[in-house]
Amino acid sequence: MKRMMTAALLSALLAAAPAAAQDAKTTKITDKPLELTIHMHFRDKYVWNDDWPVAKELNRLTGIKLKNVASKATTLSREAFNLLMASGNLPDIVAGNELRHDFVRYGMEGAFQPLNKLIDQHAPNLKRFLAENETVRKAITAPDGNIYWVPYIPDGKYARGWFIRYDWLEKLGLQPPQTVDELYTVLKAFRERDPNGNGQKDEVPLFIREPDSELQRLVVLWDGRSSGSDAAHDFYIDNGKVRHPYSGDNYRTGIRNIAKWYAEGLIDKEVYTRRARAREALLGANQGGMTYDWFASTASYNTSLKDKVPGMKFLAIAPPASASGKRINENRRARLRPDGWAITVANKNPVETIKLFDFYFTPQGRLLSNFGVEGQHYDMVDGKPRYKPEILSAKAPVNAQMWDIGAQIPIGFWQDYEYERQWTDENALKGIELYEKGNYLIDEFLGVSMTTDERQIFDRHMPNIQTFMIEQMQAWILGSRDVDKDWETYNAQLKKLGLDQVLAVMQKAYDRQYR
Amino acid sequence: MADAALDRESGGGSVRIMDGVIATPELATPPAFSSTGPGYDFRKAVRTLLSDMRRDWQLYVLLAPMIIWFVVFLYTPMYGLQIAFKQYSLFRGIEGSPWIGFDNFVALFSNEYFLRAVKNTLLISFYSLVFAFPVPIVLALMFNEIHHQGFRRIAQTITYLPHFISVVIIAGLVVSFLSPTTGIVNIILDRLGFEKIYFLTIPEYFRPIFIGSNIWKEAGFDSIVYLAAIAGINPALYESARMDGASRLQMIRYITLPSLLPVIMIMLIIRVGQLIEVNFEYIILLYQPATFETADVISTFIYRAGLQNNQYALGTAADLFNAVVALVLVVGANWLSRRYSQHSVW
Repeated sequence: MKRMMTAALLSALLAAAPAAAQDAKTTKITDKPLELTIHMHFRDKYVWNDDWPVAKELNRLTGIKLKNVASKATTLSREAFNLLMASGNLPDIVAGNELRHDFVRYGMEGAFQPLNKLIDQHAPNLKRFLAENETVRKAITAPDGNIYWVPYIPDGKYARGWFIRYDWLEKLGLQPPQTVDELYTVLKAFRERDPNGNGQKDEVPLFIREPDSELQRLVVLWDGRSSGSDAAHDFYIDNGKVRHPYSGDNYRTGIRNIAKWYAEGLIDKEVYTRRARAREALLGANQGGMTYDWFASTASYNTSLKDKVPGMKFLAIAPPASASGKRINENRRARLRPDGWAITVANKNPVETIKLFDFYFTPQGRLLSNFGVEGQHYDMVDGKPRYKPEILSAKAPVNAQMWDIGAQIPIGFWQDYEYERQWTDENALKGIELYEKGNYLIDEFLGVSMTTDERQIFDRHMPNIQTFMIEQMQAWILGSRDVDKDWETYNAQLKKLGLDQVLAVMQKAYDRQYR
Repeated sequence: MADAALDRESGGGSVRIMDGVIATPELATPPAFSSTGPGYDFRKAVRTLLSDMRRDWQLYVLLAPMIIWFVVFLYTPMYGLQIAFKQYSLFRGIEGSPWIGFDNFVALFSNEYFLRAVKNTLLISFYSLVFAFPVPIVLALMFNEIHHQGFRRIAQTITYLPHFISVVIIAGLVVSFLSPTTGIVNIILDRLGFEKIYFLTIPEYFRPIFIGSNIWKEAGFDSIVYLAAIAGINPALYESARMDGASRLQMIRYITLPSLLPVIMIMLIIRVGQLIEVNFEYIILLYQPATFETADVISTFIYRAGLQNNQYALGTAADLFNAVVALVLVVGANWLSRRYSQHSVW
């Protein structure tokens, strides 16, 4: 009787996860249960949780259980990591976001195990991925030639794009701007010809929600650059040479024109203080005409403001051609996040651990880390994962729901853009398609890892240089100073602050890593 | 009078201790702290202290939490100050990191932006001292002159309120009020026929905005300590002054203010000790690269240069510098105050 009940229970359990049950045979890493400790405090509020459905499924599929040792007491992930390193009491695995340079630095100091051999011998899927993505392998390699961490690999190409009020264009009888000159004409018309029809000159032709990185992005329209990566003010690579975007003549031309547009009221007068609420406020008040922002969230205002601003059509347009006729979209999704995980020297089971890391690069591992548990969060439809309707229709966004079950978290996993496509606004997908078709993507700078000596030089000079650059940039854009008058002293001051030395160490690190 | 009140208090205290002393035969041995002369006997002093502790153990129990707090949170961390002289690595630890002498200090003081931050910090603090320090005193005097109890309470509550609002919200209010398109300040300017001004991006306006909004936020709450002191002034003084025909202003001038002086001096000395500290969060929330010229203070500089890049040693070096300057300022202010006004913290 008892045996029968157990059997019934077992079969009921198996019925709940029919497809996955078979997988477990092929995905088992260890037959006798193995528990590894993990320190993972991420995005300032989450820690690894062994009760996550995804963590339980991971345990079932691989036989490895990860036990969290990170304290929830702090609300700063950086602090949690620092405390861990300072305590010297290392767990088996350390994971989290924004840890790239720490993995490399403390790896070279002896806190983390070099993974090169382990990957070579025990991680065929990860090995294949790194062989196929040479730049990623180079980007994660430390100055001593070792790899100390496995990164979070995002998927998808485009992040931000140009959006314009199509209905305003139609009302004023204008065409979507194709060049920077046409863009100027359109913005001018938005300013002068009262497209919202309230009789007041209250239109804000171009607004920017994230001015620290996106306002100067406009210099791309005059063939300048604003950043080489998805971080603001980053270096970029020009024919194998490391350069800083905030120097050079195209940057000057760009800033001169941004200042002109600002002075003429084409750019939001309050661009540096309105910030996060700019988009919601200006679209909601029927005053904002154009922006450069994330596809999915920006397109969603067409739906959320439907009743407040009737007839609003805020749609993506292709990047206008620059002064020299180039159409590029400087911003893109990074191919690699500074997040991931690493094996510490305290780990007695490095082989099993690297096999676990490898699991996340197998098809089953990707399904689990992207979509959650089959049958619970998604179903396979025609061989493709499809979120359950209750997940797609829930009030919380899908990514937040995934974080709550332990998927899409910053460990070394390989994201699948399909996860996002399923809940992205239709207008946003159309915009992304437009950009895919035009292929406006440019190559990105994936960053360098420096030796202690190089980092010392960098740290001594760069904070000042960046402070000075941004200070000047704002003064020029706001019109309190004149870029053309300042240009010579600006460059002289950059030299004095040590930009050449910084570029030299960057170049050295870049050549070592990517050549 | 306030110091009469203080005197009475301390007098009461010493009487109590005297009672205890009288009750015990150890009275003959002089207290430990006064026996630092040539005949100083350390063992005897320890013995005296121990017997004191046995006798007044309740007092020492009351004192203990504060001492433990100081040891755990202020004295123990001082051990870590040595990383200011090291090339610090979290993983190597304090012991394992190599000594580099004064390199971190040299790096700081050869940095023109650090020096600018020091200058800005001192200027903001100095202007706060000049403009913000007297406001709560004046406010307390004004409250004291309101005789309608209900009105007085309402007025006081209104001035306390901003103290309880988070700086994040205060910064949001300031940004809205000063907004060039919809801010009340600019609307008024516009109506009066002036140009609209984008205040928060102009370096010259930063200090007045920062100090002004701080006064609005804190003056009411800071006036409590002065009001308490005023409440301790002997009413007989006012009565006799009134009999002599003194006006209200004269009473403020000759009774209230002199009675407040000890409290004012102590508050001033404390404030001087904080000269080198400026409300970091509030600055971060209000400043822009465009206003760094006047708004960048030591703490924000360290935040950008040190913590954002994990340069803890550099941050510690700056902290140590701060602490030394603050110590000098407090000792100096205390010395001046003792010399010229006979009131001091120690």
